[in-house]
Amino acid sequence: MAKVLDVHNVHRIYESAAGYTHALRGVSLEVSRGEFLCVMGPSGSGKSTLMNILGCLDRPTSGTYMLEGLNVSELTDDELAMVRATRLGFVFQSFNLLPRATVMRNVQLPLIYTNRSNNERLERAVRALNAVGLPPDFYDHRSNELSGGQMQRVAIARALVNDPALILADEPTGNLDSATSDMVLQTFARLRNEGKTIVLITHDPEVSSWADRTVHIRDGKLLTDDEERAHAAERGHT
Amino acid sequence: MRVRDLAIETWSAFDSNRGRSALTVLGIVIGISAVIAMTSLIGGVNRALVGELGLSQAQLVYINVWIGRDLTFDDVEKIARDNADYEYVTATTWGSGDVTTGEKKASGSFQGVEPQYFKATGTKFLQGRAFTDGEVEDGSMVVIIDQNAVRLLFGSVDADAVGKSLRIGNDLYTIVGVTESNGMSFGDDESVNGFLPHTTMATRLTGSDTIDQIMGFAYEGTNMEELVTKTQNYLASAYNVPEDEREDSIYVYSMQSLIDSVNATTGSFSALMTAVASISLVVGGIGIMNMMLTNVTERIREIGLRKALGAKRSDIVRQFMLESICLCVAGGLIGVVLGYVGSFALTGIAADALAGDASMEISPVIDLQTVAMATGICVATGIVFGWYPARRAARLDPVESLHYQ
Repeated sequence: MAKVLDVHNVHRIYESAAGYTHALRGVSLEVSRGEFLCVMGPSGSGKSTLMNILGCLDRPTSGTYMLEGLNVSELTDDELAMVRATRLGFVFQSFNLLPRATVMRNVQLPLIYTNRSNNERLERAVRALNAVGLPPDFYDHRSNELSGGQMQRVAIARALVNDPALILADEPTGNLDSATSDMVLQTFARLRNEGKTIVLITHDPEVSSWADRTVHIRDGKLLTDDEERAHAAERGHT
Repeated sequence: MRVRDLAIETWSAFDSNRGRSALTVLGIVIGISAVIAMTSLIGGVNRALVGELGLSQAQLVYINVWIGRDLTFDDVEKIARDNADYEYVTATTWGSGDVTTGEKKASGSFQGVEPQYFKATGTKFLQGRAFTDGEVEDGSMVVIIDQNAVRLLFGSVDADAVGKSLRIGNDLYTIVGVTESNGMSFGDDESVNGFLPHTTMATRLTGSDTIDQIMGFAYEGTNMEELVTKTQNYLASAYNVPEDEREDSIYVYSMQSLIDSVNATTGSFSALMTAVASISLVVGGIGIMNMMLTNVTERIREIGLRKALGAKRSDIVRQFMLESICLCVAGGLIGVVLGYVGSFALTGIAADALAGDASMEISPVIDLQTVAMATGICVATGIVFGWYPARRAARLDPVESLHYQ
């Protein structure tokens, strides 16, 4: 299967007054088209840094990151913005919807940065909202009138609307109760069955059970399965 | 990003912050309305002052020559013949006599004139007509009086005077016209001012045709400054005035220079007022900047989100700049309307200050140029004070701003 994502030996070092922070220490990762990958790790493990790099919001200090064969580590800020607008869809823990805007406008928001026609926007937005199972009577609701589960589905629809190569979800169920979480995760599973590529970051093992594959990150490195088992055993003894 | 999207984003930003947007705009509204009120009021004052002088006055040249003898209408004719730049050259003589109608009696001052005098001075007739060439040639017993004289002699300013008879000294005259009372005419309110044909004046009232004042009325578009010099030179050579006596003997004065000085005075006044009012614009602009900075801080997460969704730096800059420009322009347009309305309220005060009474008619003048300038200033204010917040927004790091609490 074609590789959507090919990360090779990526390092990310932050420089601050306190000194250097080595957030990623040689991460390599491949994700195939149509795969639902879960990245798990405790806080401070570097999973957010990885997410930012995968989301083209940040650049690796060294190493390469190929997205659909495009070397994004070499792009300018505006080119990265273009990549985000056309190839990536984001789902955040706190939804990040425009509070006073309608569901429809929220879903269409990414399209204003790619100069699509009004008809195409509407068509795409309706398709995306259908895909997440939000009925049409919600389209004109303001986003702050929705429940948490509904908001997250609107956010997923927004991530889908540009038909991205990769959907990146950062703790998408972190602010939801377990019943709503299941509903949202079912939505991801359905999208995966429709052929979407998904990378989901979480610290919740429950969530990872929905994914095709789970990788563990700790201290800026991805662990092999053996290492992870060792870690788990360690935790078991304490 | 399309213009329409930009407009929608801008509108929804205002919509979600109505109260604060309105308050911020107030600074600009006050600044622009002050500028507009002042400039349109001063424009009105200028028009009132210049209008008081009469528009035709701009083409008028007053000529006096002292050469050891009295000038007569023959001299006037000669000057007219030799100076083709004048449409008319005319003159007045002066005489006085007691005026009686039936039981009313008053003292009177009269100017002896030719028909073209009325054209040259732009005198307005309220009733009747000017003298005819025939009446001047024949020395007819006709008289023109002003409105104030009608009030004195016939009891009311609106009384029908044309056709009625009037005695000046011992002679009986027929009134053929009534002119507007001129604020600059000599004599006080209790004496009759009027006009006689200069021939009639010479034979009946004064016994001489000695000229009091020569007036030239230039063709429209003549350069008055040049004409004054040209006329001075002509008179010096025509009457053999030596170089060293010219200043004392020849007096040529154009009303244009007075109008110019009125224009210059009101112009500099206007500039001063605009400068003072601009200070409030700067204050308003700082208010806008302050609000935009608050806006940026409040919307850091939104900016981060937009960047994550694909907004380029330029998209963010444009969005915030447009917000700031729209705030300023909206404030400016409201200010133009308020300022223009406000200038009407100020006309009474201005008239009182200028003319000593509130009756001087001042109607504020607003022109497209002023409105365009005000709008331009607002756009500039929006750009200047919106640039820094917009740049700050655009430079935010998407990762940090997405996680900003």
